Amino acid sequence: MATITAPAARKTAPPGILARPAARKLLALAVLAAILTPVAVTQWPGTAWPTALTVDVSAPLGRASDWIIDNRDSHPLFLYFFGHVSNAVVVAVRAVYLALLAVGWAGVTAIGALVAWRVAGVRLATGTAAAFLACGLLGMWVPTMQTLALMVVAVLASVAVGALLGLAAGLSDRMDRVLRPVLDTMQVLPAFAYLLPVVLVFGIGVPAAVLATVVYAAPPMARLTSLGLRGADKEVLEAVESLGTTARQRLLTARIPLARKELLLGVNQTIMMALSMAVIASVIGAGGLGDRVYQALASVDVGAALAAGIPIVLLAVVLDRVTSAAGERLGEAGTSPVTWLYALVVAAAVALAGRLAGFLDWPDGWGLNIAEPVNRAVDWMTAHLYSGVPVVGGTADWAAHFTSGVLNPLRDGLQWLPWWSVLLIVAALAWLIGTWRTALTAVLAMAAIGVLGVWKPSLDTLSQVLAAVAVTLAVGFATGVAAARSDRFERLLRPVLDVFQTMPQFVYLIPVVALFGVGRAPAVAAAVVYALPAVVRITAQGLRQVDPAAMESARSLGATGGQQLRQVQLPLARPALLLAVNQGVVLVLAVVIIGGLVGGGALGYQVVFGLAQGDLATGLVAGAAIVCLGLMLDRVTQPTERRTTRKGA
Amino acid sequence: MNTTAKDTAAATDTVAERPPVFSVDGLWKVFGPKAARVPADPGLAALGPAELRSRTGCTAAVADVSFDVRQGEVFVVMGLSGSGKSTLVRCLTRLVEPTAGSITIDGEDVRAMDRSRLRALRRHRAAMVFQHFGLLPHRTVLDNVAYGLEVQGMGRAARRERAAAVVAKVGLEGLEQRRPGQLSGGQRQRVGLARALAVDPEVLLFDEPFSALDPLIRRDMQEEVVRLHREEGRTMVFITHDLQEALRLGDRIALMRDGRVVQLGTPEEIVGSPADDYVREFVRDVPREQVLTVRTAMRPAADADEAGTGPAIRPGATVSEAIEAVARAGSAARVMDEGRCLGVVDATDLLSVVAGTADGAAPAGPAAVRRTAGAARLGAAATGERRAPADPRPATTEEPA
Repeated sequence: MATITAPAARKTAPPGILARPAARKLLALAVLAAILTPVAVTQWPGTAWPTALTVDVSAPLGRASDWIIDNRDSHPLFLYFFGHVSNAVVVAVRAVYLALLAVGWAGVTAIGALVAWRVAGVRLATGTAAAFLACGLLGMWVPTMQTLALMVVAVLASVAVGALLGLAAGLSDRMDRVLRPVLDTMQVLPAFAYLLPVVLVFGIGVPAAVLATVVYAAPPMARLTSLGLRGADKEVLEAVESLGTTARQRLLTARIPLARKELLLGVNQTIMMALSMAVIASVIGAGGLGDRVYQALASVDVGAALAAGIPIVLLAVVLDRVTSAAGERLGEAGTSPVTWLYALVVAAAVALAGRLAGFLDWPDGWGLNIAEPVNRAVDWMTAHLYSGVPVVGGTADWAAHFTSGVLNPLRDGLQWLPWWSVLLIVAALAWLIGTWRTALTAVLAMAAIGVLGVWKPSLDTLSQVLAAVAVTLAVGFATGVAAARSDRFERLLRPVLDVFQTMPQFVYLIPVVALFGVGRAPAVAAAVVYALPAVVRITAQGLRQVDPAAMESARSLGATGGQQLRQVQLPLARPALLLAVNQGVVLVLAVVIIGGLVGGGALGYQVVFGLAQGDLATGLVAGAAIVCLGLMLDRVTQPTERRTTRKGA
Repeated sequence: MNTTAKDTAAATDTVAERPPVFSVDGLWKVFGPKAARVPADPGLAALGPAELRSRTGCTAAVADVSFDVRQGEVFVVMGLSGSGKSTLVRCLTRLVEPTAGSITIDGEDVRAMDRSRLRALRRHRAAMVFQHFGLLPHRTVLDNVAYGLEVQGMGRAARRERAAAVVAKVGLEGLEQRRPGQLSGGQRQRVGLARALAVDPEVLLFDEPFSALDPLIRRDMQEEVVRLHREEGRTMVFITHDLQEALRLGDRIALMRDGRVVQLGTPEEIVGSPADDYVREFVRDVPREQVLTVRTAMRPAADADEAGTGPAIRPGATVSEAIEAVARAGSAARVMDEGRCLGVVDATDLLSVVAGTADGAAPAGPAAVRRTAGAARLGAAATGERRAPADPRPATTEEPA
């Protein structure tokens, strides 16, 4: 006889003001603060993070890095594992690079155009050919091929790793529970945070660059693979099972084909993130286009930076459009293999003809030197626009005003706040928007920053992030609302957003350096420009997706346009707006960190400094602080539901 | 020859005497923590759904269900959403693993099957048609239909040939190379039907196959099923929430509520003598004269004169057919079976059926079970082939004036 359990007691809501969950959370927090704060204040007075609570990790880290450097050539772990990985990467990248050079510029252009034609149509084929030719014209053929070779290897590895992880997470619930939070977190961390650990193991060079790229670019593939496998139509799977399929048959004939849209989207995102990272990885020896931009920025040579930046943008736009077009074409009647054969034959013929005609290297005479005119223009701007323009001032003046009027007070204000009050604010915000779990993670991450001993530079970075986020949200919400209300405006905006969303983060530094020189203000400006498209897009989409029936009923009650917006659209679009804030914060942080390259200072600078000086300990500590800051900012702004994809949200 | 063949078969060897294909006994499917204790404990097993949930946190989707599906019959499981009918049909091939009870197919225990036996059952003996079709969007119509054969390991040419024949049988010629996304809902369900038929299963299982379709297309598809059943005589288990559909298609109907079968019987029994108030409420709006047969309405002939004159109708004819015959002849009609006069019906008898005053008199019993298989179907589905001695034209479905 089975025992009968007693009926579960129902929880009843507390009465009065405590009925509001926000009030309950704040009250609980206030009680907690009232107990802990006096203890903290008496024990560790002062506003900065108490030194008694820091742990100096730089010495052990330094020892670890020294040990690795000493043992890189002798320890079995390096000899038999990392050494092989490193060699394999070098050989693979070299092989692809040589193959690209052997095919010649005519051949590469022809192959690119024909592939684009087959998967995406004539227009994109012409675009692809034009983009390759532009790279050559700008005198960037060889760096473009270097970047492309690195990309090919990194993307193949990322897709393989990501697909395998995604397959595991898609098929096993336990794997999914383990992997999902890791992948979620990896996706919000700035690219810079990934550089130092790989450098520690592999040293500066191509293997480190490729592996950093793989680590950065594989998560979207894994997430989307798992999502696709899990999101498959349940009834189709049931129907397939009802026909007596084996588990393997189900996977191969139903689950994977049903997930092919997500798989292709994953490939698309992986390619875009790999490009973004392959460019940033020039800091750790990736070479190619990113390296040209990096070198040029280091000497504030905007012309040269632009000459290398344009091919990056072209590459990004072409790769994104071709892969996403391939995804959209799915489900239409498949192209016959015969046309592929023709395309292959034509491409081979062009490559051979190019080889015979000696068109392997880009001809020297066909260059278009844009660096000098651009630099002349920048010089003119420096002379005429930087300052002293009547009435409006100048761009450098703006930057200076922004720095002294906004960034400095904000930074000083944050650093003036007692450390425990910062933790309290973080806890309150995270708990109000999310759950107690997110609040706990956020507080722990913030505390970890203090423990690592980088409280002050982290608050400096945080002040830049906050300033940039404020500007981004103000401009982004306004533009998003306008785009949601006017179809014409949205049509005008869409291509601009499309291009801006595909550009790698690094590229944004070039124009802001041209306009504002170096410093913290240009870093903030680049972050705003980078994060704006996503915020605008999510806001506009969220407002447009508001239930039309609710809008109609508001209209039928005689609500004015403003009333509809305030009383119906904005409240109903609240999840989308929260998501926009979250994405804005994450994207801004990524670029503010990279801003360390153009004088942004703080954590980003420490990473760059650590790399440049070979002082890995400093860099690693800064990298860990970036991870913590990223975690904290994401958790503080994390709405309960997270959207599944990051780009094109 | 088809209907007549079936009708004569039904006359000599009634459905009730055929061997069962599926035999379900005391079947339970309980969702929730420690589900197995519910059927094991008589105290818990007797609880209603709300009480069971509050006591154990479990939901009994299927509770102590027993029935036989006999060879060649259309067995309809009918109930509102949440009554457990879809879970029940999934238990038959263990797409949902039953909690307790026994299921046999042709005497073989389904619950005792190992994986490969179960796969063989699903591959060859029972095929299912789904509510939302469950087609593979990346395959053409032909490859979708051939999928079941592919799973069995049949070669490409052979399975395509077989699939093409089935595609033609369900009326999809010319659409073989389309993809499901390019088809209408009705066409998609024809593909689903063809996929199930292609493996030539012993039993076809339908899980609310037409609920997602427009009413007119649903009607077409129901006629398609009637036609297929007539031509092939395949055993079918049909799940639906639509009473009209159940009455139109079913040889026997199991009416489910909260996981239990509240009544199991022919359409005539369900409409003519509801087992409880729930069923009565359910069938209240059914036009009784189209479901009940003259058997329920007839009375013994008063004298030899009455037994010798008047139009002859067969005992399986519906009351509405009899009304037409009586109205035409202007006199009482004789119910004739193989030259014997079983009784007579006059206008008063027939009217009392329509009015519902003949309720208590309904002879629900073995006689009603033995009525011919197709006779109680509503509408025009089978009327073309019906033998109506009084009038060769199809019976009208108009209300009597």
